[in-house]
Amino acid sequence: MRTALWAIILKELRQTFRDKRTAALLIVAPVIQLIVLGFAVNLEVDHVPTAIVDLDRTPESRRFADGLVAGETFEMKGNVDTGEEAIELIDHGKVCIAVVLPAGFERSLGDGLPTQVQLLVDGGDSNRAIIAQNAATAYTTQVGFRLAMDRAQQQAAALGVFVKRPALLQVQARILYNPTLNSHIYFVPGVGGTLLLVVTVIVTSMGLAREKEAGTMEQIMVTPMSPMVVILGKTLPYALIAFVDLGLVVAGGALIFKVPIRGQLWLIGLAGILYILTTLGIGLLISTVAKSQQQSFMLAFFFMMPAILLSGFMTPIANMPHWLQLVTHFNPVRHLIEVLRAVLLKAATFSDVAPQLVALGGLGITVFLLAVMAMQRQLK
Amino acid sequence: MSLDEHVIEVRDLSRKFGAFTAVDAVNFDVRRSEIFGYLGANGAGKSTTIRMLCGLLAPTTGHATVAGKDIARDPVGVKRSIGYMSQRFSLYLDLTVQENLQFFAGAYGIGGKKQRVAVDAALERAQLQDSRNVITKSLPGGVRQRLALASALIHKPVILFLDEPTAGVSPDSRRDFWRMIRGLAREGTTLFVTTHHLDEAEYCDRIGLMVDGKLVALGTPPELKREHVAGAMFALADTDHRALRAALAGDARVLQIQPFGRRVHLRVDAALGTPVDIQSMLTGRGVAFGEIQRIEPTLEDVFLELVGGAS
Ligand SMILES: Nc1ncnc2c1ncn2[C@@H]1O[C@H](COP(=O)(O)OP(=O)(O)O)[C@@H](O)[C@H]1O
Ligand SMILES: [Mg+2]
Repeated sequence: MRTALWAIILKELRQTFRDKRTAALLIVAPVIQLIVLGFAVNLEVDHVPTAIVDLDRTPESRRFADGLVAGETFEMKGNVDTGEEAIELIDHGKVCIAVVLPAGFERSLGDGLPTQVQLLVDGGDSNRAIIAQNAATAYTTQVGFRLAMDRAQQQAAALGVFVKRPALLQVQARILYNPTLNSHIYFVPGVGGTLLLVVTVIVTSMGLAREKEAGTMEQIMVTPMSPMVVILGKTLPYALIAFVDLGLVVAGGALIFKVPIRGQLWLIGLAGILYILTTLGIGLLISTVAKSQQQSFMLAFFFMMPAILLSGFMTPIANMPHWLQLVTHFNPVRHLIEVLRAVLLKAATFSDVAPQLVALGGLGITVFLLAVMAMQRQLK
Repeated sequence: MSLDEHVIEVRDLSRKFGAFTAVDAVNFDVRRSEIFGYLGANGAGKSTTIRMLCGLLAPTTGHATVAGKDIARDPVGVKRSIGYMSQRFSLYLDLTVQENLQFFAGAYGIGGKKQRVAVDAALERAQLQDSRNVITKSLPGGVRQRLALASALIHKPVILFLDEPTAGVSPDSRRDFWRMIRGLAREGTTLFVTTHHLDEAEYCDRIGLMVDGKLVALGTPPELKREHVAGAMFALADTDHRALRAALAGDARVLQIQPFGRRVHLRVDAALGTPVDIQSMLTGRGVAFGEIQRIEPTLEDVFLELVGGAS
């Protein structure tokens, strides 16, 4: 039995590493994807390309515009003369936000009249639009407040009275765990979860389908090996490779993106094992219904798409409709990503991530047992 | 253990796929170290029978024992005693010759030093000692077939099942292959071989003939010919089968007229036993003919007789 198990494992490893593409998929791709996706999916908002439409052309309007682009958030891409031109720039993707200062801006402010600054925002990237709009609003409020103060003090001085500074209520947000809002830190755990999904689900389901297509499955079934040996032999090597990949992603995240490793790694290891149990089980289940490699690939894809979308990887789960949030409890990717984030960023302890570990364990054992039962029925 | 001990016993074995009966209440025995040929056209039910006997497919009704083990109750025991080479001689094309052999040895629980010995013996049997590190995909069909045979034999099974072992292989390789099979039988292995090549069936000690899921004939090749092909057969050169048919129309002694290559086979009542008898029968009937030779019926004649009778 040990001899037979070792024979299958050795054969799987030989086949995997003989085919350069599979080997690359399993070992090199995780690192490359981590880097490419890590840089591409940049959730931070800074250097937003900005156009200024200064219809007033006065020192006050110039001061407002200069102050706006002085920070990191907005980057001046040019002055245009009309709102239409600004919209055109937005249409062509040249700028993302345009600030229109109306004619009579300085005079109107000087007269103490309500004065409006118009913002044109490209809502295509809603995250960026909201952050840019908030930043522009905050800047405008700040300028308005300063002008009001100056004016009150001037009038008071003219009347020879002393005025108290008006009360001012400000929001001060302090961001915990990721103080610089470095989105890579949030992102790397997501890459980890989704990559393991690809490695385990696709490789196991396609590997078994390949044997069916080639007729070697029949040759295996005519040997006295028990179905359990066949199942273990065809999953253990990929569990091992997936585990190595998880290590690569965590190490790559730490080295390339400075993702901290604040918690205990064994918690990640434990979550990884339970997670791989689920995904390998799904790969096996797919292979019991799929007749060809192509069918396996399609089925694996149909499982992976929603699993990734409903994992909280890109879209926060809290933003989903309630019923969909309930569905995500059955998504192993969600739980793994939560454990990775909590352990890496918040130094979560065993009791902090116990709910996720229980969920992963429950899913893992259920799915793997179902898969083993389905496989045994088929192999008999 | 007597020599005519039955190593395979099949009783009323049937297999249905839905409403379709692929194998229909088949009965036969196979003796130790004989070559048993299982003959039939495509779709006759040969592979289905072999897959039941190998423990790959459960029978719908009936039973069978292979190497003394019941195929339904002890399929693992059956699998330990047999070797099986499927219709597609399935090997791992991306592995080397040696890696394939190592895998199959391991799968039968042969490890360590025993495995090295078994693999070397298999390489020698397949005459592949110099190609042990060649990727299987790059081997020609005939060589792959030898490798598949050596893989199926790696655990020294007492019974070897070969499903269409010579399909898609050159005539030269086919001859070599049958030489190896006869060698195995001499060494004491029992062989169960399916084929749809009637000429290959002549190499078998005994034959079962399958037509549409039913076993319609069973016996040694000479027995089958005697039982199923009545009368005497002659081959006539330089004649036209249509002219011959017209000339002999109404003669009750004529059983069959069949074109066969460039000659015509004529089968007549056994009373006409020599070429001279035929010559005198044909003389004066206005049909041209050349040399006449007494011939033995072939299995093809048996097959035509049985299938013709069935349809
Ligand atoms: N798994 C199956 N499902 C349905 N029909 C099958 C199956 N396997 C074989 N058959 C049918 O049973 C008949 C016998 O097939 P098979 O035993 O493969 O024939 P042979 O090997 O003599 O060519 C064929 O008509 C085939 O289509
Ligand atoms: Mg067949």
